[in-house]
Amino acid sequence: MNTQNQNGYMLLYRTDEWYNRLSQEELQKLINQNKAWFERLTAQGKAKPGRALERTGVTVSGKNGRFVMDGPFAESKEAIGGYLTLEVETIEEAIAIAQSSPGLAYGGSIEVRPMANECPLDVRARELAREEQLVNV
Amino acid sequence: MLLFRGNDWTNSLSPEEKQKVTDQWMAWFQRLTNDGKAIAGNPLERESKIVSGKLRVVSDGPFAESKEAIGGYFLLDVAGFDDAVAIARDCPGLPYGVQVEVRPVAGECPIANQLKHEAQFANA
Repeated sequence: MNTQNQNGYMLLYRTDEWYNRLSQEELQKLINQNKAWFERLTAQGKAKPGRALERTGVTVSGKNGRFVMDGPFAESKEAIGGYLTLEVETIEEAIAIAQSSPGLAYGGSIEVRPMANECPLDVRARELAREEQLVNV
Repeated sequence: MLLFRGNDWTNSLSPEEKQKVTDQWMAWFQRLTNDGKAIAGNPLERESKIVSGKLRVVSDGPFAESKEAIGGYFLLDVAGFDDAVAIARDCPGLPYGVQVEVRPVAGECPIANQLKHEAQFANA
């Protein structure tokens, strides 16, 4: 496994609307914990502001984008609820930060992904070109 | 925000086709950036870990090669949702099976919003 990555990592929050099941006190406590957690990471230069996503949207697919469908989401546990980007160099550190996220105690999961410097398509096209060269040698 | 879903669609393409769709994709992003419509974007590596639950268990992402895996994203700055959908329809990967999820970015954390709703309710 390539554990070093200069491009940083992305945390994708995958959740349903579990926060609707919390009391006002629990919510306020979690918001404060989240705020402190994020401020600590920012102060250490490890996190950049992310965004939360509304639980609405469409999915576009098909040639020329001819299919536009509502959703996924509202109820889905896999729906992406938001993201953060981390400026750390190893996936182990990115995972450790994800594990310290206060919201995990209540539900949902966090997907940890290395950010690519270069589009994977480019990399694959180069590999194939090199293989072809070898065959022709 | 545009989320590009699908990690397995390039397997059936020839090197020439791959190069072509890559060039188209880069030119598309460059054009949107020049027009001030795209403010960020990044491809993601296929490697994926999932952290979940109270016990904070780490497992391999189930999505390494699937139609649902997120392969990258664009963050757009456009006036309305319809503009974002129109841009999504220009995605060069669509003819090959890529799906583009279009999501409004929240002004505020949905959890904080929920709290405000409840407070309003309590005061009503």
